[in-house]
Amino acid sequence: MPYARRDQLPIPPKDAQAHNTVCQYCTVGCGYKVYTWPVGRLGGVKTDQNAFGVDLSQQVPLAGQTFSETMHSIITKKDGQQYHVVIVPAKDSPINLKGDHSSRGATNALATWSDTRATQERLKYPLLRIGDQFQVVTWEEALEVLGRVLKGIREKYTDDAIAVKCFDHGGSGSGFENNYGVGNLFFKGFSVKHISIHNRPAYNSEVWGSRERGVHELNYDASDARLADTLVLWGANPYENASVFYTEHMLPNFQGATVAEKQQNLPKGEPVEAAYLIVVDPRRTSSLTVAEQLAPGRTLHLRPNLGSDYILANAIARVIWERKYYDMGYLQNRTDLGKLEEYKAKSLKSDTTYADFMAQAVKITGVSQADIEKAADWIAKPKAGGAKRRTLTIYEKGMIWNMKNYDQIAAVVQMNVLSHNIGRPGTGVGRQGGHQEGYVRPPSPTPGSIFAGGPPVNVDKYITGGEGKLYWVIGTNPYLSTPNNQVYRKRVHERTTELSNFLGQSGEPASTRERVAKILEGLDQTGGLFLVVQDLYLTHTAQDAHLVLPASAWGEANQTSINCNSRLLRLYERFMDPPGEALQDWEICKRVGLKMAELYRQDGNTTEAAKFEFGKNWSKDEDVFLAGTAEFPNNKIPESEEATLPAECYTGVTYRFLQQQGQKGIRTPVRQDPASGKLVGTLRRYSTNFGTKDGKFSWYGTDDWEGYPAEVQKYLEGDMASQYPFWMTTGRSQLIWQTMYNDHLLPEKTSEVPMPYIELHPQDAQKLGIKGGDLVEVWNEEGNGIFMTHVTDAVKPGLIFALMYHHRGTSNSMTSGYTDPKTTIPWYKGTRVNVRKIAGALPDLQMNTSVLQQNKFD
Amino acid sequence: MVITRRRLVQILSGLTMASMTGVGRAQFWFAPSLTYPALKVGNTRNLQNNQPVYFNYPDSRAQGLLVKLGRPALLGVGSGRDIVAFSASCTHMGCGVQYKGGRMVCPCHFSMYDPAKAAQVYQGLASTSLPQIQLRIQANGDIFANAVNGLIWGRAKNI
Ligand code: SF4
Ligand code: FES
Repeated sequence: MPYARRDQLPIPPKDAQAHNTVCQYCTVGCGYKVYTWPVGRLGGVKTDQNAFGVDLSQQVPLAGQTFSETMHSIITKKDGQQYHVVIVPAKDSPINLKGDHSSRGATNALATWSDTRATQERLKYPLLRIGDQFQVVTWEEALEVLGRVLKGIREKYTDDAIAVKCFDHGGSGSGFENNYGVGNLFFKGFSVKHISIHNRPAYNSEVWGSRERGVHELNYDASDARLADTLVLWGANPYENASVFYTEHMLPNFQGATVAEKQQNLPKGEPVEAAYLIVVDPRRTSSLTVAEQLAPGRTLHLRPNLGSDYILANAIARVIWERKYYDMGYLQNRTDLGKLEEYKAKSLKSDTTYADFMAQAVKITGVSQADIEKAADWIAKPKAGGAKRRTLTIYEKGMIWNMKNYDQIAAVVQMNVLSHNIGRPGTGVGRQGGHQEGYVRPPSPTPGSIFAGGPPVNVDKYITGGEGKLYWVIGTNPYLSTPNNQVYRKRVHERTTELSNFLGQSGEPASTRERVAKILEGLDQTGGLFLVVQDLYLTHTAQDAHLVLPASAWGEANQTSINCNSRLLRLYERFMDPPGEALQDWEICKRVGLKMAELYRQDGNTTEAAKFEFGKNWSKDEDVFLAGTAEFPNNKIPESEEATLPAECYTGVTYRFLQQQGQKGIRTPVRQDPASGKLVGTLRRYSTNFGTKDGKFSWYGTDDWEGYPAEVQKYLEGDMASQYPFWMTTGRSQLIWQTMYNDHLLPEKTSEVPMPYIELHPQDAQKLGIKGGDLVEVWNEEGNGIFMTHVTDAVKPGLIFALMYHHRGTSNSMTSGYTDPKTTIPWYKGTRVNVRKIAGALPDLQMNTSVLQQNKFD
Repeated sequence: MVITRRRLVQILSGLTMASMTGVGRAQFWFAPSLTYPALKVGNTRNLQNNQPVYFNYPDSRAQGLLVKLGRPALLGVGSGRDIVAFSASCTHMGCGVQYKGGRMVCPCHFSMYDPAKAAQVYQGLASTSLPQIQLRIQANGDIFANAVNGLIWGRAKNI
């Protein structure tokens, strides 16, 4: 049945409390306005009767203020009163121009916590597993148990037995404040080296292949997408995953609607026209097919064989070299010429003839020579009159979560730098981003890539291998999100259950000290694991926890983050209270720290106690924000030295300053002008220097094609080749956010994507007797999953696409345990599987869910 | 299934409670919460499969789209349960959607809606289905629009 609809909404009165904020979801970071006011009063439709300041009786499409059914809710504050909350797209943001927004951000209001809506599932109080059920306890009790267990473990086994999996991002209720909180607890208080990041098994950058070249992945501005001659989307599908970046900053460029802006911003006389688009992706993504509608003849689709992207990037670069589409002066002045030779020898294979090189590249990638050459022309061929072409290359998880992460990223960055497509208007080579960013932490005790003391430890394997005593999962749901998921889930469940069972066949010790003693005894005598989960909801992972700590969310505190497409720092203002006793992650970390300090002081160990008192002066969100600046270098430097700053540097910025800036924000890295002391943002990076010691771009020679790693190669040999006849790649859906931690409570979302799905080519569907809306099982030796089917030509015959995360399951059950030996980044996007139809059908599901082709716009 | 029965009961009881205590009274309106005019928008004899008919409803400033799909649809009327009508304003930012290839597509940012699934958004930036216009068919085949199930873009109140 369709969900209940509304046909009138409460209008915010003129004097409703207004707040600036930024969408809690994707990388784009659209600006939003929040209005709250007590239930019982209403504004009117006339301009001077409502807080929007618009006439709601005559709104003009595109120009008007969108106020959709999903943009209103009712919440209860701590004063016991009910308040309307209206969250609408801001009209004064440089990101979501004209008040654009996506289907995800539009539901920000519905996702707010309320005990009268589905979001009442939010965690309110700490929960302790007692007698094998979750029981509500106080923070005091929770902290006493946790502190004593932690202390017992570190004294017996060192901090190495404490494993952590934690967010490191911005938006979604995290941001600089919470990152600094967890960073202090785990790197200053404890010294945790078995820590991994929310979506992967280790503590690593996903783009060391770029950073070690001197290029931070966030180097362009959204306006560059409007100014570019050519846009390259490499393993990135922004129409679906960074929607407003696509609709406001790319789509107008395909239509030629930014020609005037180009004329205004680029040197006089430089030829400008509508953009060309190159999509490199195994799928015909919506980002491609929308552009095909708007710019026929100006799109190019390259579909390399899975894993071969770096060979393709090198091949395009070889054409650029061969056709002399580079500026030798630039290469000499701005890049390391010694290392350039290594790049030419290894990546471009300058010793091999062009014909032989191309024949090889075509064989490995499956992309034709003509298309490789066309791509090189579109990316780098100088324009009429000799002006350098402006190409913005945006990559994301298709490259990051590819086989050989390090080489993939290095190859695509080098392709752009070779033709000076970085540091100029309309250029850049960087991440699209998934979520927003907001990283500031004390230095971690973990190593870098294989070239910098690494690679870092695979903490998933550490845990599933039976090691570690306490596992603390914060703001992530690895039971859906980590690779080789079925193995991971089963093993963590086994280990946590083993400890629970040890605590007592029936009765368990009841005093805090006895309970802790028993836990420690169990950890010693069994292979058990004490699991702590700190989150908004009782997630799939939390079901196996011993202790659950309730965290507060977006809107329930003041927070700061940057978006990825402009590094725009803004204040996300608090507009409501958290549920029950839920706390910000920084505050939970502070309290755990103070508890540890108290326990050490009782022992007379003041040195250890002092390490844990990092948060004793933090009483509000801004205290933590400001404390974080201790981690940044001096930023009183001239513009020419911006490359020396970390991408997120914000020293000098205060909440007050951000309040004044409002939606305008400030672009990081922020500098304090040496002369005036004024705060200055950075529009675009690396115009003068790169982020290396000598300021020069540091080339790297990628590996040769070595075929597939053993974990996947096994499926290509002998009987296995016919048993698992499909390639599987994975990704997201435009309609939902991440694991659906909020979305699974919203009927607007669950009706659209009721379960995880696969995309299957019509030819394969016919062979297997599968129709759209049928259920299938997808499996291989690693794991199994049940999916709904979409039949579509987005995929090729022999390749399926599977939705990566859904509340009801994950494609990660089938992904292998392979990680790049250079970085420990997994290959989530490629393995082999088989597919079978599940007998019967679910008529209700088929009746209610659309299976129309999502990439077909004509 | 969209939401579990338990969840639905929770949501509904929460709302009933709010309106009983008067707190949320008339401030969490579910459609149809207004008095809509009845308007003749066509006759079954004149409808051909996949040939949309545009009309204004509930007033002259709102465009609706009536179509006979030739296959059963959620909330469809007529002997084939295949006649449906929707607001033609995209719920994203208000552009007029076009019926083509058996579904509605918005020319502005390409949101797409499935007419057989109560205009569910199956792709694009729109956050809710198109408002569905409730239809009633009389014995002589006249089709009447009765109410709008969902908020028309740009309005805070449908009428
Ligand atoms: S595009 Fe991203 S940031 Fe913008 S509204 Fe959608 S989810 Fe939020
Ligand atoms: S107005 Fe229809 S998709 Fe934006």
